[in-house]
Amino acid sequence: MTRSAKLTTGLVLAGLIVLFGLIGPLLTGDPATIRDIGLIPPGGDHLLGTTITGQDVLAQLTHATRGSLWIGLLVGVMATVLSGVFGIVGAYAGGVVDEVFSLFSNVMLVIPGLPLVIVVAGFVPADQRGTWTISLVLAITGWAAAARVLRAQTLSLRNRDYVAAARVSGEKTWRVICVEILPNLLPILASQFVFAVVLAILSEAGLSFLGLGAADSSTLGTMLYYAQNGFALQREAWWWFVPPGLIIALFGGALALINFSIDEIINPALRDKARRRGDVVATTPVVESGDAVLTVHDLNVVYQGASPVHAVKDVSLTLRRGEILGLAGESGCGKTTLAYAINRLHRPPAEVTSGSVVFDGIDVLALDPEELRRFRWVRLSMVFQGAMNSLNPVTPIRAQLQDVLRTHRPSMSSSDREDRCAEVLRLVGVDPARLGSYPHELSGGMRQRVMIAMALLLEPQVMIMDEPTTALDVLVQREILNEIKRLRDELRFAVVFITHDLPLLLELSDRIAVMRDGEVVEYATAEEIYLRPQHPYTRRLLASFPSLTGERGALL
Amino acid sequence: MTALEVRDLCKTFHRHRAVDGVSFTLTAGRTVALVGASGSGKSTVARMIARLVRPTSGEITLTGPDGSPVPDRAYRDHVQMIFQDPFASLNPFHTVEHHLARPLLLHGRSRAEVPHLLERVSLSPDFARRRPHELSGGQRQRVAIARALAPGAKVIVADEPVSMLDVSIRLGVLKLLDRLQREEDLAVLYITHDLATARHFSDEVLVMHQGRVVERGPSDDVLLRPQDPYTRRLAAAAPNPDTRFHLGGSS
Amino acid sequence: MGYHLRKIAFYLAALWAAVTLNFVIPRLLPGNPVDILMAKLQQRGGSVDPAARQAYETLLGTGGRESFVREYFAYLGNLARGDLGVSVSAFPAKVSDVIGDSLPWTVVLVGLATLISFVLGVGLGALVGWKRGTWLDSLVPATTMLSAVPYFWLALILVALLSSGLGWFPLNGGYDVVLDPGWSPEFLGSALYHGTLPALTIVLSSVGGWLLGMRNMMVSAMSEDYVLTARAKGLTGSRVMVRYAARNAVLPSVAGFAISLGFVVSGSIVTEQVFSYPGIGSKLLQAVQNNDYALMQGIFLVITIAVLGANLLVDLLYGLIDARTRDRSTVS
Repeated sequence: MTRSAKLTTGLVLAGLIVLFGLIGPLLTGDPATIRDIGLIPPGGDHLLGTTITGQDVLAQLTHATRGSLWIGLLVGVMATVLSGVFGIVGAYAGGVVDEVFSLFSNVMLVIPGLPLVIVVAGFVPADQRGTWTISLVLAITGWAAAARVLRAQTLSLRNRDYVAAARVSGEKTWRVICVEILPNLLPILASQFVFAVVLAILSEAGLSFLGLGAADSSTLGTMLYYAQNGFALQREAWWWFVPPGLIIALFGGALALINFSIDEIINPALRDKARRRGDVVATTPVVESGDAVLTVHDLNVVYQGASPVHAVKDVSLTLRRGEILGLAGESGCGKTTLAYAINRLHRPPAEVTSGSVVFDGIDVLALDPEELRRFRWVRLSMVFQGAMNSLNPVTPIRAQLQDVLRTHRPSMSSSDREDRCAEVLRLVGVDPARLGSYPHELSGGMRQRVMIAMALLLEPQVMIMDEPTTALDVLVQREILNEIKRLRDELRFAVVFITHDLPLLLELSDRIAVMRDGEVVEYATAEEIYLRPQHPYTRRLLASFPSLTGERGALL
Repeated sequence: MTALEVRDLCKTFHRHRAVDGVSFTLTAGRTVALVGASGSGKSTVARMIARLVRPTSGEITLTGPDGSPVPDRAYRDHVQMIFQDPFASLNPFHTVEHHLARPLLLHGRSRAEVPHLLERVSLSPDFARRRPHELSGGQRQRVAIARALAPGAKVIVADEPVSMLDVSIRLGVLKLLDRLQREEDLAVLYITHDLATARHFSDEVLVMHQGRVVERGPSDDVLLRPQDPYTRRLAAAAPNPDTRFHLGGSS
Repeated sequence: MGYHLRKIAFYLAALWAAVTLNFVIPRLLPGNPVDILMAKLQQRGGSVDPAARQAYETLLGTGGRESFVREYFAYLGNLARGDLGVSVSAFPAKVSDVIGDSLPWTVVLVGLATLISFVLGVGLGALVGWKRGTWLDSLVPATTMLSAVPYFWLALILVALLSSGLGWFPLNGGYDVVLDPGWSPEFLGSALYHGTLPALTIVLSSVGGWLLGMRNMMVSAMSEDYVLTARAKGLTGSRVMVRYAARNAVLPSVAGFAISLGFVVSGSIVTEQVFSYPGIGSKLLQAVQNNDYALMQGIFLVITIAVLGANLLVDLLYGLIDARTRDRSTVS
């Protein structure tokens, strides 16, 4: 189902049930009227049959629905207010207030709710167990989970720069919370409210079913209690015990559908994506020339959708053995999409619509999935931008290095594997003792070195590096660049180096391709690009990087 | 004349000295650049001046246009900040109008000034109705600059104002800042890791390393003829194609 | 403070809160439980001597004759000795014995059902997330519907269909009453047979929550760079799914175990009632219906301790599977 279909279904279903509870009682008779007709199945006079005492099930159902919804609403509002106070206010205040509020919420969270409610209900004499009492108890035992979610979200919002900016402009604290933070919490608050309502209706039903519900209300749980005590099950009077549960289930399901949609608003990654059968639609392999190791010919990549985006347009590049090819361009120019497409790492809705990628005689776009898997890393390895995120945070780096050998060199002995891992780490200047470290224990520069070591493991002919130094400091960047140059000279692999930093490429690469809007606008040696740029965009890009030693004031 | 003096500023986080004895003065019509790698403490200095972080010790004193010290409650009328990431510094929920009208109202001005503010940062007045997600990075940063100008502030702290922007629009935003500084006689603290723009857009440069200022002086002196070993390494590390193609000075 | 110490300290605080809550509730709520208990006791032929009255007063309050602090310490003293009082509904059995008889039934039932449900939900969730965009997606709304169904109602339907209708399972009870409880294969077989339907109810009702949570985290994890790197490394699909995506995606499910366990325990109490299962949930209701306050309180305490213990175990396990938590200094 698409998001709007889920939302519509959820809203319509929930709306119908609310209407049933609101208007139903006005149309059906008195649910308490006892008739000496006994238990009769659904029929003309009684659309949903009668109970053992001849009461009309439909009339009871409408009243019970109203009762359950009312309690759900009461508890939902109270629990949301409580969770807001403890979650949002605590997180914004920070310090001791947050510690205390958070400890309190966590304690309330781990103490099981229903047993506590049962004990409380057991102590309160039945005649004093009113709707409000029960609602209050349910709210008090049911707000903590939401408070935890709100706290986490508020903590993250609190550190956003727009909150800092509001404080710098002199906004008062309450205004920062209400005007800057709260609106951005609305989807989460809505989702927590919906969840609290469902939980309340379920808990109240359970409580009433046990005979511990509010004395002054009739709810779906109460109906089930009478059905159970009237041996509806044993008498096979399905019309008595099926409808109340079904209404709860449908209402809960409807609200869950609404929550799905809210979740998808909060977390765009969850949205439905159409899955396509192939990542490659058409290919026309081109025989490569001479010493080329990688030839990309007229490659086109399109993000399919309602309005398709042509991310890579007729790109042709040739990478020679041992060459460093720079791919320069700004965000959104298609350079990363191109790099992924070369290794077929692009994911739907991206699709290679035409062109060819030939790697040392291998038509990459024609490989079947298993061949592709064997091709990857052995022939062509990659280093990604986020060194922080490219390593699996929950396993030591040893496991992540060894994974490669285990998969691609299954016959290697475990001691050889260990030796090889240590060897590549030494190559990039990392102490092999670090094999047992987790990624978070390493600095950003160290992590990127580990990634490069991993890329070297199988001695591939080509390494694609996507902004490998962007997140690093200039000094660390310099060290890593020197390392790459040295390793390239020693091991003779070719590199595709992708970055927005044109001066860096001018210094590092043999040839440079400048990309804009999916097209290669200029493709020449570094020297040509630097001294005789042809395309106006290349010149603009060059002019964007003032030289440190250039004439002062030339820019102004 | 408005001036902000920072004296012996220190900040300690969990026993870690993030900022250690930093002193400098910002005066109207001048730009001071604070350069250093990430973690050098330069952003913490910015946040202390913007009063987002309380200094562990040291003083920040502000002198108003009339030469007398500015009282605490009026501090924010005079000192404003531009944040690094324009995608994070504008609230996605609110319009551009809200972002500019609030600081205007908070500092005793009228919301009628919004179109004029937008003009000053070279945006047309109809931008007021838009929301952040409808703007490009450069446009967002212009709105953020306008917001900083709204209270009539004369001291502007710009914390890496262009490092999150696409390279081809960075100079445009820096030139805008530079124009405003000259036209409106602002005192600007330009915080950056990029030595080249620091040299071109500032009068004075302070190099920070591990919380301390290791070198300071007129921009050309510090960046062309660095004395401190750290500054030298920093200057040598920046990619420089000139050296490869054996070219000297001009670009 | 180390991660483990902080966790243990937190659960001690939670335990103290629960114990104190148990002390405060009967004293703050309306009604006069001690009088009701004494009357009941008389009906059952128990001795109404001052000693018995005093024992209940320590538990439930003296109505202001003794100072709150004094009562509190006397109450804590009793707890420390494992003295939870005497049950009225099962007079003259001690509360601790009644609990001792019924607790194993619930621990085995709820423990096994939760384990099955967790493994099933997390496994299916990982698969559904991994194969997003295929027919497996339809499992998500279906299981969510199931978790919106009240446990006890699902139990009623299952009994109606599978026990009354098809006669595959017994209607109620925990074992065949003609057998003597013990470790004999007949008895264990009978217990297993009787426990299947209650366990099925709990699994069906709770599996959806795990599945959905895992599926969503899986979808998020799959867009992470480390999964992209793993694919680029040419690892097999199953290895990328299990070692990289699922290994990370499961963390929030484990971290959120406390919340889910609370739901399962709450649900199983009501479920036990439907099946007249000889567990602690049925006993709790029996206690409530008979105003057996001492038993009520004892059971609440034991359930809470069991839940806290399970959560502590899971939290300590979490420290093992996510190295980062051990180095973090934030609370919980």
